[in-house]
Amino acid sequence: MQTFLQLVINGLMLGGLFAIISIGLTLIFGIIRLVNFAHGELLMVGMYLTWIGTSQLGLHPYVLAPPVVLVLFVIGVLIQRFILQPLLDARDAHVQIFATVGLSTALINLALLVFGADLYATPAPGVREAIHFGPFRVLIGQLVMFGCGIAVVVALHLFLERSYLGRAIRATAQHRAAAQLMGVDVRRIYIVTFGIGAACVGLAAVLVAPLYPTSPTVGTYFVLTAFVVVVLGGMGSLHGAFVGALLIGLVDSLSAYYIAPDLKEVVIFGLFLLVLLVRPTGLFGLGRGSE
Amino acid sequence: MNGMTTRRWALGLLSGVAMIAMGSARAAAEVRFGALYPFSGELAVLGDESWRGLELAVEERNAAGGVQGERIVLVRGDAVDNNQAVAEARRLISVSGVKAIFGTYSSARAQVASQVAELARIPYLEMGAVSDSITDRKFRYLFRTNPTARDMAERSIEMVINAVAPAHSVQPRDLRVAIIHEDSLYGTTVGRFQAGFAKEQGLNIVETLPYPANVVDMSALILRLQSAKADVVLQTSYQNDTVLFFRQAREAGFRPRAIIGGGGGYSLRETMQAVGQDVMDGVLNIDFTQIATNPKAAPGIPHFLEAYRAKYGMEPRSGHSLGNYAGAKIYLEAIDKAKSFSADDIAAALRALDIPEGQTAAGWGVRFGENGQNQRSKMMGLQWQDGKLVTVFPSEAAVSDLRLRR
Repeated sequence: MQTFLQLVINGLMLGGLFAIISIGLTLIFGIIRLVNFAHGELLMVGMYLTWIGTSQLGLHPYVLAPPVVLVLFVIGVLIQRFILQPLLDARDAHVQIFATVGLSTALINLALLVFGADLYATPAPGVREAIHFGPFRVLIGQLVMFGCGIAVVVALHLFLERSYLGRAIRATAQHRAAAQLMGVDVRRIYIVTFGIGAACVGLAAVLVAPLYPTSPTVGTYFVLTAFVVVVLGGMGSLHGAFVGALLIGLVDSLSAYYIAPDLKEVVIFGLFLLVLLVRPTGLFGLGRGSE
Repeated sequence: MNGMTTRRWALGLLSGVAMIAMGSARAAAEVRFGALYPFSGELAVLGDESWRGLELAVEERNAAGGVQGERIVLVRGDAVDNNQAVAEARRLISVSGVKAIFGTYSSARAQVASQVAELARIPYLEMGAVSDSITDRKFRYLFRTNPTARDMAERSIEMVINAVAPAHSVQPRDLRVAIIHEDSLYGTTVGRFQAGFAKEQGLNIVETLPYPANVVDMSALILRLQSAKADVVLQTSYQNDTVLFFRQAREAGFRPRAIIGGGGGYSLRETMQAVGQDVMDGVLNIDFTQIATNPKAAPGIPHFLEAYRAKYGMEPRSGHSLGNYAGAKIYLEAIDKAKSFSADDIAAALRALDIPEGQTAAGWGVRFGENGQNQRSKMMGLQWQDGKLVTVFPSEAAVSDLRLRR
């Protein structure tokens, strides 16, 4: 029983990790309807920034959250403005997806060129220490990540529901042409949305870097699961993605223990296919595509 | 006008003749060998480190008069991925006209490039790839000086029995051994051999757990090891999963008596730095002969180190250069004694080699089997001590005593 509960705790914490990484992807997918294959590489860029800040400037990773989030926001804005927007009117909408695939490969190889293939550990005093709850252990870094995941989902929800810009973003997601007719500058909305999505990845990077070593391919380890989380959660639903992430984390942890570590992906993707068959719009989808 | 054209024409002819003459003069005194390594991409660091060993051996040989009286010229080929390895092997053979190809560090690239060489009847001389399947294909012109994954597995089990058990004053069969490995070709091959040898030796295997190398959470795997009360863990892994295992084992309070790695992530300084010197201290590892090995067992090391420092102005980044240096010296010596540079003469000269263990630069002996694999090369047992990877097993090669993990 004790082992089972520890597995559940580990699973929820792992879910928190998947959640914080998936939020940006969910937002971009939900609003711009773009599958961003460079998502993992944005995470990688953020992790390198965090590593540089901690190892070269001697700062605590959490202190670096504001600058890294800001830099990632700018990077996101630039990507949308100068790479994706010119392709917006391409005859085939898939061209944008291919562009993100190209961007992903380019960023990985750029990192290889600059940093080499070796991995770097981000120094993080205190973050990797365990807190004990009776016989159970949780890392401080994992708890922080879990809390931040919830906070970001709530904050984004409020932003989208309450603010003027948020409403414009939702209007654009619901019907691009109609929003345009109502005077919404759709291109600007897309730029801002991609920026916010990338900024969320920046926050994720700051929280993930202390727990996982940074390498050029680190993004590829997380991105596949992130896609699963997005689809499972309902293709753009933020709280759906959060619940989906926790579910994946739990299944990952329990199946690795009770079945086998190398079969856990079989279980996760099997479950994923099952959910898609039963509920094609995901766990929290609206039941119909919003555009 | 007319005189000018004639002069120009004559000049052109003259320089043409001169070039042909120079070319043939060079051809008469030179023999070309291919050097196929990953020089760019993810494997570039160790690919380049491997190349340095070959380069040093060739320079040494040239200074002593070359092979069969001819100066050796190395032509580099960049095996950045499998397709490129094939293309570069073809280029080396058909365009550069090499008489043999040396390489390769990466098993996957050796596997495909050697196929090209075999079809073209050009000897493929491997000095670094560890996958056993490379020499399982009955090729006639393929040779390998370095030990393989099988040797790695054998050595790790030998170490459990002859080093770990005595150090803890227990019978080997009383140790609870767990085998964990990443589930690509590398980890699976070593893990399977380990399980086989352990069974043969009557060891108690409590868990065998493969996992994907791109794993992001090993806490459940570690809980399983804890539940199984494993006190010796054998891990075959890359860098990411090695770091993750040590971090999460420490966080979960899992402290087995011994951890033995199988090269890969365990041999890299960056892994030790990412994990922490104190956590890595006392961890065992199996790999090629490293620089910190007793010269009595590997007599070429002091000379190699001197040459390496003189040429590159730094310490070797890993033992790969030494392995390639030792391998290249073995090959070049045999080629020198061959009747010609034809594939059959080179193969015959290599098959005639019979050198006892402990006499070549990395401490290996040489005797090629039917399949081209050197049957007298072994891996070394290593340990991380004070941030350095030193040889502790077997005792004749050791530079330090085995330490117990704190």
